Amino acid sequence: MVSRSRGPGRNMLGKSRVSGNSRIKGYSRAAARASRAICALALAAGIATTAQAEGLSDLSLGGFQRKIAVFDPGGRYLTRPLERRVPGLVAKGQYYFSSGVMFQKNDGAGFREKDFRLLQAQNVFEAEFSYRISSKLALTSINHFQYDAVYDIESARGIYADQVDREFEYYDDFERIARELYISYRTPKFDMVVGKQQIAWGKMDGRCIDVINPMDQRESVQLESSDYERRRLPLWMANGTYYFENASVNLLWIPDYNENVNPVYGSPWFSPLIPPTDQMARANKALLNGDVDAGGDRYLLSNSPDWQDIEDHQFAARLDSGIGKLTWGLIYYYAWERNASNEVAGSFVSGPDTQLTFRPNHNRLHHFGVTSDYAWTASSVPVIGNLPMVLRVEALYTTGVRFADANRQAAARGGSMNNGLSEHNTLRAAVALELALPDNLSIILQPSFYMTQNWNNGLGSGFGGAVADKWALAPVFFIEKPIRATRDRLKLTTTVTPYISWPNRGFQGMKTKVTASYELSQYIRGKITYTSYTGGDMNDLYGQYDDYDNIGIEFGYEF
Amino acid sequence: MRHNAKAIFLFSAALMWAANAPAAERTWRTLDQLTDAEKQIIDTTPVPPRMPEQSYLPEEPYPFSAPYNAEEVGYRVMNFTHMARWSHIMADVFGSITKSGYMSQSTMSGLASYKGKPGPEFQINAEPGDVYSDQLFYYTYPPKNEGEQMMWNLRRTGPEQATKLDYFIYSPSLRRVRRQPPPRRENQFPDSVQSFDDVVGREPWEFTWRFIGADTIYESVRFPKNRPTMTLTKPDGSFFEVNTADLKMLGSEYPSYREDGGVECFVVVAEPQRDWLPDYGVSKLVYWVDKTYFYPLRIEQYDSDGKFTTVQVRFAQRENSALPDGEGYTNNQSVYWDSKLDLTAFSVHDAHKVKGWSEEEQTFFTPDFMRRRWETHPRKSLALVDKPEQFYLRPHLYLDRFPSERKIDIPADVASRIAAQDASGQLVFADEE
Repeated sequence: MVSRSRGPGRNMLGKSRVSGNSRIKGYSRAAARASRAICALALAAGIATTAQAEGLSDLSLGGFQRKIAVFDPGGRYLTRPLERRVPGLVAKGQYYFSSGVMFQKNDGAGFREKDFRLLQAQNVFEAEFSYRISSKLALTSINHFQYDAVYDIESARGIYADQVDREFEYYDDFERIARELYISYRTPKFDMVVGKQQIAWGKMDGRCIDVINPMDQRESVQLESSDYERRRLPLWMANGTYYFENASVNLLWIPDYNENVNPVYGSPWFSPLIPPTDQMARANKALLNGDVDAGGDRYLLSNSPDWQDIEDHQFAARLDSGIGKLTWGLIYYYAWERNASNEVAGSFVSGPDTQLTFRPNHNRLHHFGVTSDYAWTASSVPVIGNLPMVLRVEALYTTGVRFADANRQAAARGGSMNNGLSEHNTLRAAVALELALPDNLSIILQPSFYMTQNWNNGLGSGFGGAVADKWALAPVFFIEKPIRATRDRLKLTTTVTPYISWPNRGFQGMKTKVTASYELSQYIRGKITYTSYTGGDMNDLYGQYDDYDNIGIEFGYEF
Repeated sequence: MRHNAKAIFLFSAALMWAANAPAAERTWRTLDQLTDAEKQIIDTTPVPPRMPEQSYLPEEPYPFSAPYNAEEVGYRVMNFTHMARWSHIMADVFGSITKSGYMSQSTMSGLASYKGKPGPEFQINAEPGDVYSDQLFYYTYPPKNEGEQMMWNLRRTGPEQATKLDYFIYSPSLRRVRRQPPPRRENQFPDSVQSFDDVVGREPWEFTWRFIGADTIYESVRFPKNRPTMTLTKPDGSFFEVNTADLKMLGSEYPSYREDGGVECFVVVAEPQRDWLPDYGVSKLVYWVDKTYFYPLRIEQYDSDGKFTTVQVRFAQRENSALPDGEGYTNNQSVYWDSKLDLTAFSVHDAHKVKGWSEEEQTFFTPDFMRRRWETHPRKSLALVDKPEQFYLRPHLYLDRFPSERKIDIPADVASRIAAQDASGQLVFADEE
């Protein structure tokens, strides 16, 4: 383990980092803004010129549809010429824009100032290259350039996360820009991928056993399965798979380590429950830097895993097989906590109060998981007739999860020194039933379950457990319908996620998401999403975001 | 408006002429008009219904012998499903276009593995529920689909085995292999005319079969006049250009073309047995099959009300020269048309190469293989349509043929566009009428 200096690195909730001023050498903030504005103008001009050249100014709807169907300037002028020049190269590009605007602009939500409406205006450019060196060897590079314009557009006092961590505004280092970079060696029976990559284990929506990579969780409760591809944080690893006749074994060796990225002070989704107020936090550099918390406790340097020490590496294994129509898999992951636990390292007196000194530390976790699916067709179902369906099951049991324990911290303040943590095992599981109804209507029922063993009232949050409670159930309901009259270009989906826990909190609110997506062409798609948070109390999982109902517009162009 | 009225008038006049044309000038004939030579090939005696103690399979083993009854012809048609009935690799190119000209296209590299020897015998004789074919498709175009994969494990159906295939997908955006519910067989693919049954094929034991006559077809797949050439791919991956006017319905090796270039066909009707397919959305299929190999050049579907819905026409090619007679023929190009949506779709099976799979290579056909995102056998094709105006023409409707069996109502606006298409030799879109 090494003690990391404050600078690069990710912070758990409540511990923030002042941006490294030296990272933008030679640029002032104004110059950076100007260059982004120039890029935006150039992009708009390019699109307008190309649109003109492509005849998109034809105002007839049918004519417009015919033109937009083949409108692909990125493919025509960038990727296809490149592929023609370099045989064996596959080049892809993507521009993705996503925005979110809240319906309510209050003068506050909990400790948050919440004097803004715009939640995000993210622009992501992705450049992907895959070069086939031989029939068995390939090199892949995926690069991301992300810029969230909310920090330039919104002049609200409540939006200042770019001052805490510049990467909330845009990516400016190799770690984030060079998103994936790996070399693959393949034979029919053997697969080896070495380099920076992301792995998604599991068969169902959500992240039941999808635990290999950390995640950029800056959007907190707004984060969706459809975002994981962009938000999962790749790691340097060796990933090998051997294929037997009816089974496969996948082994991972991960020297790299990264924490989750969580919302920070001044980010739109920072929890309203975390003190102090934004007015106080903005002026408190030590707080923003993670040196202290709102209560005056101090935080030492974090002990993080050291990639140069093999004992700090992570290892994982997965076995997959099938019996007839049933497929199943088992996983084991010897991992580190993704969010450091704050261990009490000492105490000091400040005025009349005894304060604690914490050292953020990472603890080892053992993850044991199972995944399975089975499909069949029920016949003679009333009204419907034949009903095809698939059942998916996943579960993850984790040992060694450390929770901040308020009771133990109180004892430490009272003189009974202890580390302020307690260790528990957690279980999370999900069952999904997907039904294929007539007219391409799909329904998924997916109850997810969370449990912390030996839970007590003083525990904070921990991996795999319920939020602020011993048990929790989140019965997700999903329905999707493509509209045939539009040739399935228009698709409507609704996802409803209530969160119910016990014995303490009960109903912690519900998240409802309604989406209309439309395929303008094979290259261009748009989406409008309405998300609401209802029910629960102000200190509940969804209840705290009761005033955060929002509507978002997304646009994507792939070439 | 004047152009529309003129087109409708011409279209209607053509219908009237065809309906009243004397039998000697028309190409279709009912059963009572078959020649003696034709009666040597087929047995038009109705196939008696099975007794409960009888097997649902024909008494005579496949491939049967002449004269073939209608059911046996239905089994012979099984040899000519959308995908070739032997292990192979190919480039699958497909797309669709709306009445207003919105076009979408995709390409995939396809790998198919069949158990047993080429042809449908293994499937016919297998136990219900057994897998008879594994197929893997890797999307290469458009960019938003690149890297997506589908795996189908095709299963033989039976009285208690309605599941036709195990269906898995891999999505790069999810990075997961997901088992999908077995598809509803008659549901059309998104943005397409084809259904799963159109692509995977129909089991003849689930239908009753009868002949309705004979006919001659002169055109199946039709190209617009502004697409005089197209580029296809040979099995070795090299490209070659062909004149679309030179493409023949059953390729250059077919031995039974008429002097005038037509192909003589038998016309056979298949109707679902409701104890097998109680809720099947198709009430009837009408097949035009060539007399020599029983290759289906044209297939029409009728909905549960007996109304015409879709038509499929095909080009075939002898892609497996190791197989005798017509067994080596397979689908090369198909065009589909949905009359309700006026949606036209196409499919080209390009760069076709016969390929046996070693035991080691059988790992390609397991669901978890897709996580590797490995396009093991890239197959390139240049058969995409460049512009909406160059899209395939709608198939002929033959409104006058077999009127007692074919209930075809075409809305006036669709008829207008068809007439304009036939007059101009290329697609005419809804806003251009």
